[in-house]
Amino acid sequence: MAGIVTEPWSSAENGNASMTAKGSSRELRHGRTAHNMSSSSLRKKSDLRVIQKVPYKGLKDFLTNLQEVILGTKLAILFPAIPAAIICTYCGVSQPWIFGLSMLGLTPLAERVSFLTEQLAFYTGPTLGGLLNATCGNATELIIAILALTNNKVAVVKYSLLGSILSNLLLVLGTSLFCGGIANLRREQRFDRKQADVNFFLLLLGLLCHLLPLLYTYVATEDTPAAVISDMSLVLSRSSSIIMLISYIAYLVFQLWTHRQLFDAQDQEDEYDDDVEEETAVISFWSGFVWLVGMTLVIALLSEYVVATIETASETWNLSVSFISIILLPIVGNAAEHAGAIIFAFKNKLDISLGVALGSATQIGLFVVPLTIIVSWIIGINMDLNFNLLETGSLALSIIITAFTLQDGTSHYMKGLVLLLCYFIIAICFFVDKLPQKQPNGLNMGLQQMNNVVTATGGGVFSS
Amino acid sequence: MGSIVEPWAITENGNATAKGSSRELRHGRTAHNMSSSSLRKKSDLRLIQKVPCKTLKNILSNFQEVILGTKLTLLFLAIPLAILANSYHYGRPLIFGLSLIGLTPLAERVSFLTEQLAFYTGPTVGGLLNATCGNATELIIAILALANNKVAVVKYSLLGSILSNLLLVLGTSLFCGGIANIRREQRFDRKQADVNFFLLLMGLLCHLLPLLLKYAATGEVSTSLINKMSLNLSRTSSIVMLIAYIAYLIFQLWTHRQLFEAQEDDDDAYDDEVTVEETPVIGFWSGFAWLVGMTLVIALLSEYVVATIEEASDSWGLSVGFISIILLPIVGNAAEHAGAIIFAFKNKLDISLGVALGSATQISLFVVPLSVIVAWIMGIKMDLNFNILETSSLALAIIITAFTLQDGTSHYMKGLVLLLCYVIIAACFFVDQIPQKQPNGTIVGLQPKNNPGSGFFSA
Repeated sequence: MAGIVTEPWSSAENGNASMTAKGSSRELRHGRTAHNMSSSSLRKKSDLRVIQKVPYKGLKDFLTNLQEVILGTKLAILFPAIPAAIICTYCGVSQPWIFGLSMLGLTPLAERVSFLTEQLAFYTGPTLGGLLNATCGNATELIIAILALTNNKVAVVKYSLLGSILSNLLLVLGTSLFCGGIANLRREQRFDRKQADVNFFLLLLGLLCHLLPLLYTYVATEDTPAAVISDMSLVLSRSSSIIMLISYIAYLVFQLWTHRQLFDAQDQEDEYDDDVEEETAVISFWSGFVWLVGMTLVIALLSEYVVATIETASETWNLSVSFISIILLPIVGNAAEHAGAIIFAFKNKLDISLGVALGSATQIGLFVVPLTIIVSWIIGINMDLNFNLLETGSLALSIIITAFTLQDGTSHYMKGLVLLLCYFIIAICFFVDKLPQKQPNGLNMGLQQMNNVVTATGGGVFSS
Repeated sequence: MGSIVEPWAITENGNATAKGSSRELRHGRTAHNMSSSSLRKKSDLRLIQKVPCKTLKNILSNFQEVILGTKLTLLFLAIPLAILANSYHYGRPLIFGLSLIGLTPLAERVSFLTEQLAFYTGPTVGGLLNATCGNATELIIAILALANNKVAVVKYSLLGSILSNLLLVLGTSLFCGGIANIRREQRFDRKQADVNFFLLLMGLLCHLLPLLLKYAATGEVSTSLINKMSLNLSRTSSIVMLIAYIAYLIFQLWTHRQLFEAQEDDDDAYDDEVTVEETPVIGFWSGFAWLVGMTLVIALLSEYVVATIEEASDSWGLSVGFISIILLPIVGNAAEHAGAIIFAFKNKLDISLGVALGSATQISLFVVPLSVIVAWIMGIKMDLNFNILETSSLALAIIITAFTLQDGTSHYMKGLVLLLCYVIIAACFFVDQIPQKQPNGTIVGLQPKNNPGSGFFSA
């Protein structure tokens, strides 16, 4: 293991995020984006005094490393959920427990992965760091999606990805704008709308790609066999996914290279009460890399539990699978970003909150979703972009409402409240929705209500 | 027939100086005219001066101006080839392809002739002429298809024109302009764009309501009643849309002219010579005669296109929907398209926007309702229900474009997103193999393997 930097961590939770004019050039060097800066708000100052007393140097380094990575976050108390979930699986404890513990365990892991990505970015330079962040920023959602695919649970994939986008657009953004508006009641809150606009174009492109396969099902008459429709839908979805990936690559080129200046966080120098120090990595490259791989494996493990136990949990807790996938899973996966976005909104740094929320939504909408389609194409599973009427309708309206809300470049608490309430309404809609979904392999997911509901709607609601 | 024989000193940019704008006022030039002028060629009249006979000289110079005065001249050869192919009964797809190619320079020449006539008729009538004849190709194809009772082709080609203008022309212009001007900030005046979007949204409403009427009906209502309701609503909406278009013309050509004049700076670099006096290059009556003649040729080629579209679609393996929505408008719009890109390269976004959005508005609020009214007169049942896939594509195209243009700046990412949206919609119609049923009962389009005759298209 290469040498570890053992100077005391003097950049406090805000120090990393000092966006002074000098600092912004440092950020440019280290490829920090709004995403990184937001997560840094959950870091904790590491108290290295206890470790200094350990005689052995190697042991000391190792313990320092451990402390930075494991204990360096306020969410560290959730870490015990991970071994608890593993133990529960081996002891055969009831599945809902495993589900709940796995979800709790995923929360700090997502935050730590973001921290490690940021640390690695110190070593790899701004562009690569930005790329790394762009791909790993939503590692949890990506892993859950791919695992659910391999278990042929296409509905869970679609719902969880859709729920992520909705959560970022309405929940994260809504609470940030609301809390920020309340905290800064007397001040005018402004942000640069150009950055938000680019995200909205791309989200609208993604919406178009979801809408057209959905409309194929309505275009068909009674005579057209379902196989023709799903075939057309599949071909269109796969081509659209390639186009969505092309546009995401163009977005990365735009964001990290040609129009970088639009995306640099704009801040004034006098906002920071904590000390500003030189940014350095606190763990070395290889240790960071090893931790990243390790954490990704643990995320994969917990996600496996989540995907395997979701039906049982839904029956025990009397919630539909769609509700759990659309509402609960994304809240867990996004918790760290969520907290960060709220903190920055409190400080009236709306550009960062927006960058986090909209950037995540764009990433999932235009990178994770098409990537999942392509992966399913390779695996041989029939997943298309048809997310069904209710979900696509919610997505369309949330994009339109958010775009409209953010179009004038200012904010107040009412905007945040409206977005938040929209999210609650959509959540209630899926909570109340007890229609079972039919999987492509013929199994019936979800609550089994009256049989006539199943026969009346089961054929038409979900075909893929 | 007098024709002015002075050399054409006006180049493609010279017409657009600030002094030129007052001249533009006099001659009713709009962004549309200026964009097409980028495809003109300087006429070299020296050869003709040597011809002894004066009348012959006049005729030849006239001929040169009109036929050879464009970079698209090469495509003129397709016209006689298409006529030959039709007389000798060559393969129908070949006739279709040749007619399509032949239509391209004709559309551009008609726009040129309209502009020349505008010199004589004054700004208002000139603007009106441009507003009506600017999309002559689409109008003629629509009316001919109606006469052949191919309502699906009409609807698809008009819809495709709007989509092509909104997404393809605009997208490529913004993309190329953004790449070429990557270090500069590109701005445009959004007021002009906004007016177009109001009208497009109104057109969208007129399309949406007959469509929703079909879904609002429950099981007991008979299909014929729904069709009748839809037809009445469509015809009434068409009259309203035409009223809106007339108001738009008044707004654009008379009361709020200043919003629509292209904004250029005097000191902008024009590498070609600055204008001398703008003069028409052909006489009024010769221009008029050429216009009538070209319109007749357009009508002839459009007749071929409409007659051979089904065979072409069968032999090329593409659905009629795809050919009408994607291929036909690309051909009809080719000249405007090239012009818009050229102006975007020069960072003159107002002109590119004026061309693209103006065309879209013209088709949506003039050609479409006019087709419905002509169908009414002919006794053909055409309504404004363009079916859910097409109407949704239209809705999303309008919303995406309106959202993209609402802040008054541009960069290449905007153009790329619009372009990719067009590619996705094209892919959607390419993949769509569901056959269309014409109102007279014949089946149009590809037949899926085990389904001889089903249709979702009822007019």
